[in-house]
Amino acid sequence: MRFDAVVIGGGNSGSAAALALVEAGLKVCVVSEGLSLGVAGSAPASIATQQNPPYARLAELSAKGATVLRGDSAVSGNWDGLKLKSVVTRNLADMPLEADFFVLATGKFFSRGLLSDMEKIWEPVFGADVYFTPGRETWSDPDFFAPQPFMKFGVLTDKEGRVLFGGKPAENLYGTGEVLAADSKALDINKLISRYAGK
Amino acid sequence: MQENNISEANLERCLKCNLCTLVCPMMEVNPEYPGPKKAGPDGERYRLKDPAYYDYALKYCLNCKRCEVACPSGVEIGDMIQLARIKYGSQAKRKGLLGLRDWTLASTDLVGSLSSPFAPVVNGVLGTKPVKAVLDGVLGVDSHRTFPAYSGQKFTSWFRRQDQSAFDKFVTYFHGCYVNYNYPQLGKDFVKVVNAAGYGVHLLEKEKCCGVALMSNGFAGKARKQGELNLASMRKAIAAGEPVLTSSSTCTFTMRDEYPHVLGLPNDDVRPSLMLLTKWLYGKIASGEVKLRFRKDFSMKAAYHTACHMQKLGWEYYSIELLRMIPGMELTVLDQNCCGIAGTFGFKKENYVHSQNIGSKLFASILDAGVNTVLTDCETCKWQIEAGTGLPVLNPVSVLAEALED
Repeated sequence: MRFDAVVIGGGNSGSAAALALVEAGLKVCVVSEGLSLGVAGSAPASIATQQNPPYARLAELSAKGATVLRGDSAVSGNWDGLKLKSVVTRNLADMPLEADFFVLATGKFFSRGLLSDMEKIWEPVFGADVYFTPGRETWSDPDFFAPQPFMKFGVLTDKEGRVLFGGKPAENLYGTGEVLAADSKALDINKLISRYAGK
Repeated sequence: MQENNISEANLERCLKCNLCTLVCPMMEVNPEYPGPKKAGPDGERYRLKDPAYYDYALKYCLNCKRCEVACPSGVEIGDMIQLARIKYGSQAKRKGLLGLRDWTLASTDLVGSLSSPFAPVVNGVLGTKPVKAVLDGVLGVDSHRTFPAYSGQKFTSWFRRQDQSAFDKFVTYFHGCYVNYNYPQLGKDFVKVVNAAGYGVHLLEKEKCCGVALMSNGFAGKARKQGELNLASMRKAIAAGEPVLTSSSTCTFTMRDEYPHVLGLPNDDVRPSLMLLTKWLYGKIASGEVKLRFRKDFSMKAAYHTACHMQKLGWEYYSIELLRMIPGMELTVLDQNCCGIAGTFGFKKENYVHSQNIGSKLFASILDAGVNTVLTDCETCKWQIEAGTGLPVLNPVSVLAEALED
């Protein structure tokens, strides 16, 4: 199963990124573990122009020719060094999704884009670099209404929005939306389109 | 996935977001149904307190699993409702004539075996007005419904005379009740396609109905026995190195997912080898092992309907992509909607109106698409869509068979 782009996550940011890619003529697959209300989000700028809530955007994506895997979830990746070759999903298991590039848009703690235990916070699909402060007592502020430190935690990227592994950027895995740390740079959708749409 | 989760069917992960409510087809037409959130995780809290809280309106659940596909938290809402019906709703099993109706609708193998030898008579009699009136008035089978016709020759009888000895590699076919008693042509098409791919076909040593109709009509014990028998036969085929392939999305879903989740039958060893023919075939073509040659003069304008259980399996991609490989195929993929029949559910008089109201949206979208054929991997969707639109409905396997070069 080969696509130009595979977007992991069908929430606010994932569906908006996927829609922009489909409209640019790319062959896109979206893996959406359930629907999303998409109320929160540091979504790409294009989100402002989206009329539909993310769950309705999935139908729009299907209608525009994207492959939407509903109720499926990404389990792991197959790598060649720092190049992501394909993504394995729960439902399709033995037939991984291959693509030129991939977008990680799995959201934060609620959507389990980030998981935590007493000591650490991690990104479960690929094990990407995650920013968090050491010591669980530093993660939250007892003042409920204060800005909560854990909301700044998330996946780290380079200046092009490529996801970091051991401090080095993956060649073709980009991050966007809530899964990213507050200070991480999200993918630039227009740059991605101009880079891949002509190919 | 959250670790250290101890609740059955992921009850504790429900965030009350109501996205399941958004997609439930029954809630759109029937205010008596409390909906997946209330019937599932909310109701479960009550039922755990006291089974007396069991709500008989759970009978309206279609078991379409669209709630589970929509759930962002992995709560197995549909399983929870099915399990509650089995665990707490058994005293609601209907007595008397309606009980007889439910038992008859659920006993696909027995009724099929008894009917096939007398197919012309049975088909004729079941279609007559006085019989329909009796079925409707006395047994509660809605008179708008026509039972799928019985075939005079069972698929297994036809298959016994097919020579498959020329092949050196084989797949095993779980044909299901519908192919065996009602529509052997689909089974014949299955054999044609598999043979064209260079494989021979074996049948399971023993095959019983997957049990989906038994489960939804309150006969879980019998379903479990049949499931054990099917799994034992499948293990033998898999041990011989053969995948077990199917042509019905619901049978496949039932045996892969409902066996462990609802009937408590572990099948981890069988699951990876049990799949629809379209998934297996797509994989073989994608890896380059199989190449199919299609006719040049084939032409069809069709709409593909993703059956609910196909959606839950997540495998519609394979059927759609195979269909797109056929030259002359003009394919429209329909928006995700339930057809409303849900197996034996829609045959019952008390459900007929709901069944039609749910289906109406899908029927309209099909008629709008301006196609001459509808394609789907589910046999009960086929009955519903044929009745609702007047268009012929085919399984993708039959279309592949028809499009193959001779």
